[in-house]
Amino acid sequence: MFKYVKHTNYPVNIRKKDVRMAKYLITQFGGSNGELAAAMRYFSQKFSMPDDYGKALLNDIATEELGHCEMIATMVHQLTKNASIKELEAVGLGGHYAEHAKGVYPTDANGVPFTVTYFAVTGDPLADIMEDMAAEQKARAVYENLIDMTDDEDVLKVLLFLRQREIVHFNRFKELYEYYKKKGY
Amino acid sequence: MLFEDNNFDVNMSLFMPDVNFNRDNNVLEPMEGFLRGNMFKDEYKPYKNLTYFKLNTTSEKEKMLLKIMALSFAINDLNLYLDLHSENKEMFNLFKKYVEEKDVLCKEYERIYGPLEITGDKGTKYDWLDSPWPWDNKGGSMYV
Repeated sequence: MFKYVKHTNYPVNIRKKDVRMAKYLITQFGGSNGELAAAMRYFSQKFSMPDDYGKALLNDIATEELGHCEMIATMVHQLTKNASIKELEAVGLGGHYAEHAKGVYPTDANGVPFTVTYFAVTGDPLADIMEDMAAEQKARAVYENLIDMTDDEDVLKVLLFLRQREIVHFNRFKELYEYYKKKGY
Repeated sequence: MLFEDNNFDVNMSLFMPDVNFNRDNNVLEPMEGFLRGNMFKDEYKPYKNLTYFKLNTTSEKEKMLLKIMALSFAINDLNLYLDLHSENKEMFNLFKKYVEEKDVLCKEYERIYGPLEITGDKGTKYDWLDSPWPWDNKGGSMYV
């Protein structure tokens, strides 16, 4: 069961329109290393975790990642809110407008829609947790690429926060991985 | 005790950051941790020369909401830690302290400004409907 809380995990308040950045940022919602893939990866994998440590950790990180989906989608929404069709077309978002208007739709930075094949569930705790560690590193790398592409502080501070969460999650997964390896799973 | 001996796989440690399990004096204050996105001082890794931004509040409402967000963040980060280290009494006590502080603040906030959770809607009308929603930004002042 989930409860909704009416605030973001970290404040998102972007004042400057920037359709170019929105086009790239959307990948952290619907791309292969994005938050939606992360949330669904951990959510799905939790059912085959062998003990309470794995069940709790995957459940709780999945829940946090859902909040991160909301943050990325919020950024994209705010960056494009007052954009004209011409401005969207100028950065290659004409196709997006044709399909979704100003709707926030999970794709990667090239407009490729989200697909569930972005993550795996093997039922093997070592394989799954190792994938989760890699996923956190890949998401961190993408956040760094995105940070390199903007100088808008409103965007930067959110990206820096989310990048840091990848580091924390990686460390937790790594702890769990080492423990499971010792247990001989 | 989950990790009595921490002899990491040597090959793994080559490409993974060190994790210090001895965190008792390593926990940041909720607001400090929140701004960094990390409650644990020795796990914090800034990117290049970019650390974190201070968040400015423009009203009592924002100030209160920011405190609630910081406490919620601290609770979440300790929650993840406790998932693997439930025997750490000190950490659990800190967790409970933040939960209590957040509960008090949330009640006060909801009494004045309206519900943060649907069950916090105890006014004379159905306030849950009222904007802004977290993805709205009205004039750049609502969510800090």
